[in-house]
Amino acid sequence: MRHQRWFTPWVLVIPALTWLLVFNLWPSVNTVILSFTNAKPLGGGTFVGLKNFETLLHDEQLRWALLNSVIYMVVCLPFLTVLPLLLAVLVEKKLPGITFFRTAFYTPVVASAVVVALIWQWILDDRGLVNGLAEKLGVISGPLPFLSDQWLLLLSAISLTIWKGLGYYMIIYLAALGNVGRELHEAAAVDGAGPLRRFVHVTIPGVRGTMILISILISVSALRVFSELFILSGGKGGPGGRDNSVVMLIQQYSQGFEGNLGYASALSIVLFFVTVVPMLVLARINRRGAEA
Amino acid sequence: MRRRRPAVVAMLAAAALTLAGCGLGSEDSGGSGGAKPTVDANAQVTGEVSFQTWALKPKFTSYVEGVIKAFEAKYPGTKVTWLDQPGDGYDKKVLSQASAGQLPDVTNLPPDFALSLAKQNMLLDVAAADPKIKDEYVEGGVQAYQYQGMDGTFGYPWYLNTDIDYWNATKFAAAGLDVKNPPKTFDELLAAAKTMHDKTGGKEYLMSRLPGIGDFTNAGVKILSDDGKKFVFNTPEAAALLDKYRDAYKAGYMPRDILTNEYLGNSKLFTQGKVAWTTGGGNAIQDFNKDNPSLKGKVVPSPALDTPPLYVQGLSVSAKTKNQAAAIALARFVTNAENQAAFAKIVNIFPSTKASASDPYFSKSDGTPESDAKVLAFESLAKAKVLQPPVISGATNDFIGQQISLAIAGKISSQAALDAAVAKANQLLTQ
Repeated sequence: MRHQRWFTPWVLVIPALTWLLVFNLWPSVNTVILSFTNAKPLGGGTFVGLKNFETLLHDEQLRWALLNSVIYMVVCLPFLTVLPLLLAVLVEKKLPGITFFRTAFYTPVVASAVVVALIWQWILDDRGLVNGLAEKLGVISGPLPFLSDQWLLLLSAISLTIWKGLGYYMIIYLAALGNVGRELHEAAAVDGAGPLRRFVHVTIPGVRGTMILISILISVSALRVFSELFILSGGKGGPGGRDNSVVMLIQQYSQGFEGNLGYASALSIVLFFVTVVPMLVLARINRRGAEA
Repeated sequence: MRRRRPAVVAMLAAAALTLAGCGLGSEDSGGSGGAKPTVDANAQVTGEVSFQTWALKPKFTSYVEGVIKAFEAKYPGTKVTWLDQPGDGYDKKVLSQASAGQLPDVTNLPPDFALSLAKQNMLLDVAAADPKIKDEYVEGGVQAYQYQGMDGTFGYPWYLNTDIDYWNATKFAAAGLDVKNPPKTFDELLAAAKTMHDKTGGKEYLMSRLPGIGDFTNAGVKILSDDGKKFVFNTPEAAALLDKYRDAYKAGYMPRDILTNEYLGNSKLFTQGKVAWTTGGGNAIQDFNKDNPSLKGKVVPSPALDTPPLYVQGLSVSAKTKNQAAAIALARFVTNAENQAAFAKIVNIFPSTKASASDPYFSKSDGTPESDAKVLAFESLAKAKVLQPPVISGATNDFIGQQISLAIAGKISSQAALDAAVAKANQLLTQ
């Protein structure tokens, strides 16, 4: 009989615990601390209480950024939840050449967000592919301001995100569809259900858990969008900075020697709460669905 | 268990706030006297010293190594360690060095970088150890390293540059404009832009940039209050300037995508032959010809509109250097007239030393457009000024640019844009 000392388990978890405290917990705590100060990258800074949060309340840029982030989420969520499922159902069939289509849909996922956004910039520019073709065909008389109009720029970035995300979520659905019992489809077919009814009553309930997971992933990604808007707007957040996302604002405020780390930290805390809310809502929906 | 949660949260918050109080240093007053040297110009120069430059390798390796060798020969017993940082992300590199207390002894810093470091007492007041600085370097160069509310000079001016105007002769001819008599003021530029637009059916553009703080300065608008503690550029004159830009934009005299605010947009568009005017340094003409050979012979330089901008690079000395005498001597040696003149002959910049003013290399043209542009830029330096105060940070500049583009797009009035820009700039200045 070997006696295990009381501290043995603690000794074993110390490396992992240290890692967690230093690289996960401390940065988060430090962000909270900084949000109550006017600290700058080179030091200095004093405790300013809730001043940063008061400033946030009157920050018009933040209002636009939050609106953009919410619009991003609201538009991306249905498209990226439903379209990849339809695609997955299409490419799930074992047909000749189906691998080509699976690969084609997945290609944008492999490309870096920066490269993809740059390509789209060339496509959507005033002198770009879309405007050039549309003008040649006589569809438009002058170029459409995809990259210089506040709402068109946001729409372009959303389109890019949807296009890039389709393949990624399609793969997740493909894995989930593999777990939907074939016998369920066969039983439904025997009962006279057509393809559409089988999709609604067999496929969708079968991948409901995956749909919730994907919804959470999309919501978080959409609220934290950066690359697409940053590159399509040339890093400036569109005309008047009205196409900024919250992450872009954080980047703008924290950059350079005179970066305002306190205010950027306060923005990070706002982003944290804004991101947590839809996650909690979707988790609750999932729990209710599971209990039903 | 549940009832305990608020107490735990409160304890954590209290701990965090206590930490916040303990963990931060005292607020920088912004009106410091800077770090004063403990040596004078006659101190013995010996020992090791580190020297950091910005993107000079590999193009100028032999030049820098030659200067270092000459310094070590002049001061036996010295050893210079040269570090060169890449062009991209230099501000982040310097920031991390400064935060870690590892700033090299002598560092190439533009005035806006130096200001932030000087405010934290991280740079030496070199004029205190070397009073001759204001006699030997041009006034604009020295002033670039002197800041409102701070006592001292926080860098040796190393080299200078300015912008001149470049015009596309072919596009001028197509619009019936005389490229030998290009616009000299902003109003003349607007008139020429209208002519170009009208004569080419809106297919050609002259202007392709948004205004900025430098344009306000050029229009006689005061940017900062006398004590340097408040932005005051929301004046009717500044609003009138924005109105002119807005009207020009609305009339189609500028490409619509200037609102995307892409970096160096006008220079790129000029190089691509899409617009007829850009500003650039004295050597820009060579870049145009290299990047787009079809422009060769079609680019005509002329002096900048109104007051030319002054761009300064300098060498600052770390306050933490363990070898002040050698660091100051090295900064002085690298920036002396002889070394600057040699540098200016291998790269198109201009010396900041008064002794270089009479050098015929800079003041006499050989008749080529490239040489004309160089001489034009050199002559412009005499009246060039720093048009944008270094106190304007990146975030402030971004916000001002955003408000300006809103005004140009006609989304808000020019005055409202300026008021918002000034309010935000002041808020960021005092934070």
